[in-house]
Amino acid sequence: MSLSSALETLANYRSHNTRASQHTLEKGVEVLKANAVVKLGDDAWAFLEQLTLAAIDVGRLDIADECLEELAKTFPNSPRVNVLTGIRMEASESPEVVLKFYDEQLTEDSSNAAIWKRRISVLRRTGKLEKCVEELSTYLDTFYNDLEGWVELADVYSSCHQYTSALQALTHALLLAPQNPFYTLQFAETAFTVNDLPLALKTFLLVIDMCERELRTPIEAKESVPSGIGVRAWYGVKLCCRRALGRSSSSITSQSNTSLPDVKKLQKLDELATERVLTAYSASAKGAEGKGVVMAWMGSNI
Amino acid sequence: MSSSAVSLYLDPQIRDWVLFPITLVMILVGVLRHYVVVLLQSPPKKQPRAAVREQRALVRSQILRATSSNSPAPPSFYLSISHHLSDAFEAGTYLKDGPPKPGSDGAPTAPPNPMTDPAAMDGMMSGMKTQMVMMVPQMVIMGWINFFFQGFVLIKLPFPLTLGFKSMLQRGIETPDMDVRWVSSLSWYFLNFFGLNGLYRLILGGDNSADSSQAMMASPFAAAGATQPGQPQDFNKLFKAEKEHLAFAEGLYSWVGEDVEDRVLQRYGELN
Repeated sequence: MSLSSALETLANYRSHNTRASQHTLEKGVEVLKANAVVKLGDDAWAFLEQLTLAAIDVGRLDIADECLEELAKTFPNSPRVNVLTGIRMEASESPEVVLKFYDEQLTEDSSNAAIWKRRISVLRRTGKLEKCVEELSTYLDTFYNDLEGWVELADVYSSCHQYTSALQALTHALLLAPQNPFYTLQFAETAFTVNDLPLALKTFLLVIDMCERELRTPIEAKESVPSGIGVRAWYGVKLCCRRALGRSSSSITSQSNTSLPDVKKLQKLDELATERVLTAYSASAKGAEGKGVVMAWMGSNI
Repeated sequence: MSSSAVSLYLDPQIRDWVLFPITLVMILVGVLRHYVVVLLQSPPKKQPRAAVREQRALVRSQILRATSSNSPAPPSFYLSISHHLSDAFEAGTYLKDGPPKPGSDGAPTAPPNPMTDPAAMDGMMSGMKTQMVMMVPQMVIMGWINFFFQGFVLIKLPFPLTLGFKSMLQRGIETPDMDVRWVSSLSWYFLNFFGLNGLYRLILGGDNSADSSQAMMASPFAAAGATQPGQPQDFNKLFKAEKEHLAFAEGLYSWVGEDVEDRVLQRYGELN
């Protein structure tokens, strides 16, 4: 009974790409002990892959080796198993050895995306950022629609303060996933960091526009409570408006040549943002604790 | 009424030695064919990086164009990407063999003969092999039925049918007066040929190779209309065309954030 429920949980994790490694390992070892792997049929291999990754995650390399051996026996020369082998090597070998292994794999099949990505991640981990960015750009030039790749590139750029390049990378992420407000929020925050206030303001508003699609009438909108990334976006709007209103319009520069809304609209947005953020904090008892701090911040002029 | 009273009487031996064997043989051949096709399938060929890049270059501009009338990319970013892509398409940066030489420009290079290109040849051969596995067993079974059981009446359908079905159900027997409900051996073969797909799906799973509807789609005539996978595409031409599309999309372009402050203010009833 518990075995079947364990298998069900594991299959559920697989289909949802959940990384609950400790849990996966516990259930997985249970399945291994019960010798139920054979009964899984074709699912057995996916299960072994999952268990290997989970075992590496929590540092049980002995179990990972066991699974990997089983997989390598069944699928010699499979690219997927090679990736697993590489990840297993990353856990214990030095980066040089792993890089050499990945290089060998890539000379054999230069368009193996999974191996290529692993190689880039090792490069980043060992601090060879320049090489990493170069490789990642080449990778994305070949596999354009890898969303994760673009976000990673933006992250690498941000980590070395190349925010303009990060914005460019994020643009591609936006193009690939225009429906995802989280990337838009990241874009807005990056734009704010490069001091491109108009662009930041507009993209923060875009996030709000995306998150509050379901509010139809003004009354409904007024009564709603911002939540999740909506609050963060409203904070962003508030920040942008305050800065924009505090300065003369000539001192506000925009690298992207985005124009700011006129002062009347800015003031309205400023008021609305203040009201919205405060609403978010007064709705629940937990939020009310921080309300005083937020009020003070709203009143101050940073 | 009287005609149905003097009905034919079928020897049960026909049922045991002709009807069942034909059905059984067809099912078994279908299963066998599935496994032969699986055996024959060669693993997909690994492509070098440059080839993958060439194939996917078009997708980049398609993604950019897909949202261009409501693009999430701000104008300066959109334009830089768009211009970069159209320059690259013009210069042929994405071509597998590098940009075309300036001397040979203008003269359209003839597409390479697929017979001499080993990669295209491989693709054609694998298609042919699958075709052969589809066709040969069917021809053999049909020959077998025609040779041994020609003119046999195998079964009587339990429901009446109109005369229009005569040519479908009594193929191989030239009797104008026989009731349409009687099915001849050759017709039984055809009924099985088209009717066993459901059974195959049950035995072999969804995407099995025994399915004759797939064989129909993979017929040489169907392939003539669609783009052949083995046929090398002239990417240079495709890129040039895509450049035009990009220019059109640029005309349609508008940033989704253009008047977003109005939209948000309007939602809260602040805009008047």
